[in-house]
Amino acid sequence: MTAAESGTREKIYEVDELTRVEGEGSLVLHVRKGKVLEARLRIFEAPRYFEQIVVERTPDEVIDIVARICGICPVAYQMSAVHAFEDLFGVKVDPEVRALRRLLYCGEWIESHALHIYLLHLPDFLGYDSAIALAHDDRPAVERGLRMKKIGNRILEILGGRPIHPVSVRVGGFSRAPRRADLEPLRAPLAAALEDAKETVKLVAGLTAPEFEREPRMVALHHPKEYPYNHGHIQSTDGVDLRPSDWDRAFREVQVEGSMALHARTKDGATYLLGPASRITLDAEQLHPIARELLAETGMADAIRTNIYWSVLARAIELTHAIAEAIDIVDGYRPPIESRVAWTPKSGVAAWSTEAPRGLLFHRYEIDGRGRVSAAQIVPPTSQNQGAIEDDLRRFAPRIIDLPDDEATLRLEQLIRSYDPCISCATHFLDVRILRD
Amino acid sequence: MMTIEVTRPERTTTAGRWYLERAGLDALVAALREDGRTVIGPTVADGAVVLAEIHSSAEMPHAVGDVQGPGRYRLTKRDDARVFGYVVGPTSWKRWVFPPDVELSTGRRTGHRVEFAPTASHPTKLAFVGVRACELAAFGVQDRVLDAGPFRDADYAARRESAFVVAVQCTTAELTCFCTSMGTGPEVEHGFDIALTELDEGFLLDVGSPAGQELVDGKLASALRPATPVEVYTAAADVAATRARIGDPLPTAGLHDRLLAQLDNPRWAQVAERCITCGNCTLACPTCFCTSVIQKTDMEGIAATNERAWDSCFSPGFARVAGGSFRSRPRDRYRQWLTHKFGTWWDQFGTTGCVGCGRCITWCPVGIDVREELMAIAPPVALSPEPIRVEPVAASFNDFVVAQVVATRQETADTVTLTLAGADPAFSKGNLGQFAMVAIPGFPPLPISISRFTVDGIELTIRGAGPATKAMTALKVGDQLGLRGPLGNNWPIERAVGRDLVIVSGGIGLAPLRPVIHALAADRRRFGDVRLYYGARTPADILYREEMERWASRGGIEVHLTVDRAGPEWEGRVGVVTQLFDQATWEGANAIAFVCGPERMMQATANTLAGRGVTPTRIFVTLERHMECGIGLCGHCQMGKYFVCRDGPVFSLLQLGDTFGREGI
Amino acid sequence: MAAMAHPTEHGHGGHAHSNEHGHAARGGTPRPRVAVVKFASCDGCQLTILDLEDLLLELSEHFEIVDFPEASSARSNGPYDVLFVEGSVSTPDHLRRIGELRKQARVLVTIGACATSGGIQALRNWADHDAYRAAVYPTPEFVESLARATPIAEHVPVDFELRGCPISPDQLVELLTALVTGRRPQLRDEAVCMECKRRGVVCVMSAQGIACLGQVTQTGCGAICPRMGRGCYGCFGPREQANAAGLARYLQASGERSAEEVGQLFAGFTAYSEPFRSTITDLGGTRGARRTGGAGHVAGGAYPPPGGAATGRASYLPGRPRMEGIDDDGR
Repeated sequence: MTAAESGTREKIYEVDELTRVEGEGSLVLHVRKGKVLEARLRIFEAPRYFEQIVVERTPDEVIDIVARICGICPVAYQMSAVHAFEDLFGVKVDPEVRALRRLLYCGEWIESHALHIYLLHLPDFLGYDSAIALAHDDRPAVERGLRMKKIGNRILEILGGRPIHPVSVRVGGFSRAPRRADLEPLRAPLAAALEDAKETVKLVAGLTAPEFEREPRMVALHHPKEYPYNHGHIQSTDGVDLRPSDWDRAFREVQVEGSMALHARTKDGATYLLGPASRITLDAEQLHPIARELLAETGMADAIRTNIYWSVLARAIELTHAIAEAIDIVDGYRPPIESRVAWTPKSGVAAWSTEAPRGLLFHRYEIDGRGRVSAAQIVPPTSQNQGAIEDDLRRFAPRIIDLPDDEATLRLEQLIRSYDPCISCATHFLDVRILRD
Repeated sequence: MMTIEVTRPERTTTAGRWYLERAGLDALVAALREDGRTVIGPTVADGAVVLAEIHSSAEMPHAVGDVQGPGRYRLTKRDDARVFGYVVGPTSWKRWVFPPDVELSTGRRTGHRVEFAPTASHPTKLAFVGVRACELAAFGVQDRVLDAGPFRDADYAARRESAFVVAVQCTTAELTCFCTSMGTGPEVEHGFDIALTELDEGFLLDVGSPAGQELVDGKLASALRPATPVEVYTAAADVAATRARIGDPLPTAGLHDRLLAQLDNPRWAQVAERCITCGNCTLACPTCFCTSVIQKTDMEGIAATNERAWDSCFSPGFARVAGGSFRSRPRDRYRQWLTHKFGTWWDQFGTTGCVGCGRCITWCPVGIDVREELMAIAPPVALSPEPIRVEPVAASFNDFVVAQVVATRQETADTVTLTLAGADPAFSKGNLGQFAMVAIPGFPPLPISISRFTVDGIELTIRGAGPATKAMTALKVGDQLGLRGPLGNNWPIERAVGRDLVIVSGGIGLAPLRPVIHALAADRRRFGDVRLYYGARTPADILYREEMERWASRGGIEVHLTVDRAGPEWEGRVGVVTQLFDQATWEGANAIAFVCGPERMMQATANTLAGRGVTPTRIFVTLERHMECGIGLCGHCQMGKYFVCRDGPVFSLLQLGDTFGREGI
Repeated sequence: MAAMAHPTEHGHGGHAHSNEHGHAARGGTPRPRVAVVKFASCDGCQLTILDLEDLLLELSEHFEIVDFPEASSARSNGPYDVLFVEGSVSTPDHLRRIGELRKQARVLVTIGACATSGGIQALRNWADHDAYRAAVYPTPEFVESLARATPIAEHVPVDFELRGCPISPDQLVELLTALVTGRRPQLRDEAVCMECKRRGVVCVMSAQGIACLGQVTQTGCGAICPRMGRGCYGCFGPREQANAAGLARYLQASGERSAEEVGQLFAGFTAYSEPFRSTITDLGGTRGARRTGGAGHVAGGAYPPPGGAATGRASYLPGRPRMEGIDDDGR
């Protein structure tokens, strides 16, 4: 970072390359006389044209392709896509397939949240460059994080062949469903991971976060009976309530000058926040009892809602939830009668939203008469959060302009990391709707 | 034509023959399990009948049939309740007697010290339920390859020995079956403990061994009753019908010679257009035995584990040595596989490599049918060579003996001679031209020629070219390494007695000839004129320079040198080694020649020597091939009818015939 | 650095290698300096490094991770003993950076399908990029993107490559171990089929009629697709001498598949590697590219060298991975 001073009270903070976020981005904050002139999160990611690459591909091919948008949350991309197709084609999957898909998502959440908390975010709070540096002083903590991350990956591997870009998700179910015995090796490490997760909640609840109160508009899926992964309605703290296929009735994408990504706004142009803090705020009642109880014990539900730094705690609570739910699913698993039901494609619009670890992920595909994609729109959580991040930067900046540069930088980076931005996801900018205009 | 003899005794008597109800099959499985055996049998999984551990007969297929063709396998539903109503599936019993991945040994390297420890094999007692006639024949072939000498795979032998075999007569056949042509079935005749023939409601049971008899008299007795004549006749008729259904899809008379006469047939290139060289045929084959060893090390570089895995002559690295692969083209690999399986296997093992099970046809993903290729390439004539019979000795991949470096000598910039002591006493009986497998934990063991025999050890002259040889040339006095050997055959120096000897050598190829020169210098009177022609890349690359001067001055050996490139200080010859003697005056009629160097140099030398009148029976070359086991068990160095490691590395031109210098053999 | 494996012997002449850092690998002496950089990619391959949960902390004892922005705020501009490169060259900036990075790296390792083959984004190489970009993006001037997404080896010499989308953790560990112990990594270059057979996986092509690229695809994944009951989609790229044309012919002849459908099978994560590339082109190009007005074949010509003598050398073209070069021990 550089903080170039021109005149007495003008500073431009630039963080050239954000670290410990997935992908590449930079931050420009332009402050004059205590007033923020500009706060901009830039994305360096090279365009990869995913919405164009899926054109003319079949639904099952699309599931393989869109996973490659993000190596951190490939399951999320597969899930939004597979549910979009199944919703349009009227596919009814076996209830055990539905449970296995939740288990798959549990695996990704566990892996992603453990990674973020221990390897990316905790070093910030404790003043280290990296988890490896942190491990010099507190190896047990880092090992705890790695243990949980590993069991998350193990779930993905058993269900999908490998942790990154698993291969078994297909329209209609799975190419192969595990036998009961295949899940057996998960039991003992999951039980141990639950204790690790509880320990994690204690650890992060005891951290010190900067004071930073605000009340963003929050958006997440909500399901009356379960913590949201694949199903529920899109709800917000100000009354939005939509089917997961109908995201574009309340939200739209705008192109921001100078950025390679599209940002999302509500139809009235407002920014909004997705992710763990929003889900905890909107869906706390649906948490697994173990996680719900832990949240209550911390007494910090309101802090999670109003201070983005506490998203680390939201993540720890969700980590506990995902592990506890994974245990329940493994315990109750019976192999599906049909791991993959037959289906026939239909033309029309296939759209769905699911909850990626970092928030709501919306996919929309137009399917032609031969069952192939003719147009696609993918709205990842990070591009939806980007407006809220910049709002927060603008609001937060006055608090740090008097700090020494190093500390100011650290605080800014830490703030951005609180959103767990997955920048490689945010780099879709091919809006096929525009193509048709 | 088979070594697995097909006799046809009268099988219609009812004496000593039993009937087992279908439900009684479970008693058989239970009895075998009670005997402490892991029972392997057919089960249905992933759209095929696969062999897997079974705990009861309920896990076995019921009312399942199959349809097979080139590149195609489908399960069908049968109208009856038969348990064995299909033919062989994708798995073969090889998986249990010769597992796909085995840890062979571990090694450690701490400071100067090295240690090698063979990994103990403790196979559980096995029982195989549902072995078909062609698969019994496959055991026979594997026994010959792995357990009948001259070297023995002890792990295979132990697993095979432990297995109780419940054979099943084939009462059905598929288009891919050709056991009748290979003389291996469909009748189960011997090599089993119990044999079953499935009837509508149960099985006719025959006893084939004392162990089988014991089971029939004991645990199985209550499930059996004597078979009726109708049952016996029905069983025989069903098997006979199977034979009739198969017919004789591959006339095999004279296949060996016919096939080997067709090494230049254009069909090899044509089939290579279709063949993907994926290796499926070889790994599905119940007799293919080729393996490779992978070394795994820890990050400290101290501990290493050697794991043996199934490999295939279709894999790109299989015949690879420094400088390239001996079979770089897909057509070479397909020809290698087919000519070995149906041809040179006979020369090596006195048996066919093919048992006619048809797996390579069904599981070829692009549906290549070996029978069709064979008939196109080599329509049959009658001839069958003599089988080789040798006594087995125990040996393994693993028994490295630690030796210590007691002296090192830098021969050239990249070449070092290591003097080793404390090696296996077997080396003291070693012969001229033999080699040792040399290992440093963490690196792949390499075949290295022995360049001198000393009183209590050997010398190795090694050129540091890759990481493993560089690690060897970097060894210091006091360091240890592992040796296995001496391996291979030797230069036939006794045949040079009373003759002129011509030694032609290039580069590092002088190393295996050095013991020859030492030996004849020690007993010089017995030989005629001895001439050494040696070529090196540059004057600085000339090996054993001081010794060479002694050979010339005191040993009575004419030494002629040439180099590829030289500076002004070099006063000798420049050019290829054959130029050294193509103008010479000596006559070749009474000469014998030992040649070692790059293969292309050896070919050129052989041609020049032949031109000077040296007969091919007296021109000897030593061949380089990719070697891992050194004892003819891993398959890498297979070349025509030879394993270069075991039958060579020294061959006469007559032995090699037109395989010498031919691309892709 | 004495113990570190050298790249293939015929090396990369003309490059300034800085050996003054990190001599000798173990025992209190400096550890090899490692950096991880990315170009156009999903981050999954570098995440695989973090996914070595059991080994991650041990690794940090053998290697000094000096630049790995995804995992650490500590940064370094080089030189590096080992540089892992993820992603394909897809923007003008990438073109500039890869040449610079090569000069800083003693050993350069490409990781994953994007870096070794161009990745899924290389499917745009069959399309008309300008039309593509202008048609879909309202303000294309913000979009810095090259017409073709290309593998790293098309631009600079590569010492080792790890295939896969994503790379295999086992192969990564093998490479790291080989680097630190000074031996050659043992990475099989055989077909995926071999792994299926060793593991006892029933062939999905023979037993279910599913199109599978396992025969022409390099092993390393553990045959996960056939194990999961589906056909291999080639994410480890073509193996040595892959007979893709032969497989394509068989798939058309045997399975009632059109040339177009067969072409789509190869048009995946390693589509731009030969011989998959020419197989796709021979079968009519990609469906998606044709729809958006692409020529259906890949434009010829390499990029101008980014100041490096080695750029564009035939031996560094995709499909000729350096890893497969054999060493002088014959292994």
